[in-house]
Amino acid sequence: MSEQLVAQISEYLTPNVPIQLVSQGAEAVVFTTNVHPYLPKESYSGVEDAKFIIKYRPSKSYRHPSIDKSLTKRRTLGEARLLGKLHQIEGLHVPHLIACDAYNGCLWLEFLGENLPNGMGFSNLKNFLWMYAKGGNDPYDPIVLETLYKVGQEIGLLHWNDYCHGDLTSSNIILVREKPGSDTWVPHLIDFGLGSISNMVEDKGVDLYVLERAILSTHSSYAEKYNECLMNGFSSVYENNGKLGQKKLKEVINRFQEVRLRGRKRSMIG
Amino acid sequence: MVNLNAVPPKNGRDYYIAIGLEGSANKLGVGIIKHPLLNKHDDGDYSHDCQVEILSNIRDTYVTPPGEGFLPRDTARHHRNWCVRLIKKALEEAKIIHPTLDIDVICFTKGPGMGAPLHSVVIAARTCSLLWNVPLVGVNHCVGHIEMGREITKAKNPVVLYVSGGNTQVIAYSEKRYRIFGETLDIAIGNCLDRFARTLKIPNEPSPGYNIEQLAKQCSNKENLVELPYTVKGMDLSMSGILAYIDSLAKDLFKENKKNKILFDKESGEQKVTVEDLCYSLQENLFAMLVEITERAMAHVNSDQVLIVGGVGCNVRLQEMMAQMCIDRSNSKVHATDSRFCIDNGVMIAQAGLLQYRMNDVVKDLSETVVTQKFRTDEVFVDWRE
Amino acid sequence: MTVFKFPQFQRYEISVSLFHNVSNTSDVKLKIAELPYALVDATMVCSIEQLYSAIYRAIVESTYNRLRTKTLHSECLLCLAPSSNIGEAFKRFGIKDESKEIIVIKIKDTEDDQDNDPEFPDIIKGDQVSFDDETLQATKNEELIRKVRIQTL
Repeated sequence: MSEQLVAQISEYLTPNVPIQLVSQGAEAVVFTTNVHPYLPKESYSGVEDAKFIIKYRPSKSYRHPSIDKSLTKRRTLGEARLLGKLHQIEGLHVPHLIACDAYNGCLWLEFLGENLPNGMGFSNLKNFLWMYAKGGNDPYDPIVLETLYKVGQEIGLLHWNDYCHGDLTSSNIILVREKPGSDTWVPHLIDFGLGSISNMVEDKGVDLYVLERAILSTHSSYAEKYNECLMNGFSSVYENNGKLGQKKLKEVINRFQEVRLRGRKRSMIG
Repeated sequence: MVNLNAVPPKNGRDYYIAIGLEGSANKLGVGIIKHPLLNKHDDGDYSHDCQVEILSNIRDTYVTPPGEGFLPRDTARHHRNWCVRLIKKALEEAKIIHPTLDIDVICFTKGPGMGAPLHSVVIAARTCSLLWNVPLVGVNHCVGHIEMGREITKAKNPVVLYVSGGNTQVIAYSEKRYRIFGETLDIAIGNCLDRFARTLKIPNEPSPGYNIEQLAKQCSNKENLVELPYTVKGMDLSMSGILAYIDSLAKDLFKENKKNKILFDKESGEQKVTVEDLCYSLQENLFAMLVEITERAMAHVNSDQVLIVGGVGCNVRLQEMMAQMCIDRSNSKVHATDSRFCIDNGVMIAQAGLLQYRMNDVVKDLSETVVTQKFRTDEVFVDWRE
Repeated sequence: MTVFKFPQFQRYEISVSLFHNVSNTSDVKLKIAELPYALVDATMVCSIEQLYSAIYRAIVESTYNRLRTKTLHSECLLCLAPSSNIGEAFKRFGIKDESKEIIVIKIKDTEDDQDNDPEFPDIIKGDQVSFDDETLQATKNEELIRKVRIQTL
């Protein structure tokens, strides 16, 4: 299947845009390329190793072509618009949107992150925490705790502005160095394919729950402290917004606890 | 490793016999099955391969006139009228002469479902239990579907799409529970189809969903789909909005409301859309949504097998679409059973119940046989699997 | 003048030039309809990315959907604007009588054989300067750009 998909998108992109497969989800396939869709080569090829992300929603043959076309367009456009709006939020870090072709299900995005040292993999939160859990490193290193606090702040900002991520796992949080060589990491949220505008406490509670579970399942020994830092960062954003912030924070945390108890799913009716 | 032979069959037999009673909706089913005592079940994970022998599978459906749905009180009355007949017939077909000696366990649907019908059936179960002095086991209806599906298709660990009149869930097994990955946020798909059938006033015989499927097949205008809302929300889906919309389209069609530009041509007033077109569009839309959430679950748990269970699983178009998705996912496979097992039946309750019985999960006191309308699939402790 | 093609769309050759101290803006404005170019008020553009992304979008719409304006050139102007109001877009991003800084864009369809179009300097009387971020930053009208962009958020 992958070959077919790659052939499909290669035809659309033309041989002038060489691509490399990064990951394949149920809905979209992610590639990297070193060719920019519309800037002249001189403008970016000076930067060593310039890379861009192409997120492609392939057409699905099982559904009727008219459903397929309209759905692909709607989802691609929706994600693009969401990223555009999120970019405006001060303090929130999301990939920069470069180009959008909703008719072909194609999004061009800024490439974020780097390879962690010692073959620890790509700089998402999951691998980052793994790196500090391995031999010689201190899992409770202040850098780790500080980074987790910042992750919490990102989510807090997202929710405070009434947006939800929809798939907040530790692979969807990319860490970018503040400056090359620095040990300070700035967390960025990626993959808003399931994201939405939502002021519902339920959606926010679920976002927090999904991340908590992701950290619990991959770093269970240190999860308690990690999730504490996360929630502290999260709460700080709400607390900075006076009485209303306090009130809303309480609502979100209460719902979060409820979601925890029932495991995310509501009661069924027979 | 799981030991399914912990509880030996009664009377020194080398096989188990279970009778299952199902009546959570309008289908009353009585099924009798036989599990041979196999060595491999001593230690392993073979609950999908019990080599079941179906001794009888009797069912009677309470069918209402076109345009009407079935109400709990009438359905319960139907079950009360038929259960003795069906149980006797099942015993006869299975050639069971002495239930006390020959039957290991009586399995009944504990829930979820409609209250009064469930209640009628459990009373029959309790009565048989007291009459024959045979233990009881309460079974979750959804788990019944899943276990029957696994046994018939031999799919060991598939992602399960459970779609019926009362349920729409995407389930995957993990650590002793059937976890619900995605589900409907409001009504079940079968319910949606049934209610649309009512709006169209098509017959409920053999089932409203079947008749919608036949109408959809007769659609002559497949290229021009009627656009309907597509409401997948993450891993879940919602259908009440689609139903409301398509109901209103159907009503406009019957009233010949020329103002509706989707149904009638702007200038000539000619009818552009038929009932068949509506059925076709509804199916294509709903099924695409189901396949999508199933695919998401498969990607999440890294599975390459899908099992479709529940009444709506009989729909050939749904099976086709799922198969296509699986082909595209390379090496994935779709499993489905036929109408004997897709549609509610007693055998599936016996199958799941017998597995529970073999793990010593029996009713110790009659008070445990209370039925419940709400019974989530993930509340069941699946100790018969690894 | 920058001339190149987008990697995906080899069919179109894109030429862009930036002029300062334009003296014949009113004359040019009168002839706009016949000129096979897009003329953009450079003070409304703060980066080359902004301009090129609009051209890219115009070509995508033209290739895979449909144009909302009459030509690919006028479409570029619409794509620069945050709203889909064509009149607004032309008014804001098109040249005004007082405009002294003008960007000229020509999108040539290589499938068209003929090319008798006049050269940019023949039409625009002014100093051709390098089209880059630095030059644009020097003349941008930040206040107006912000005002226009915020309108649609």
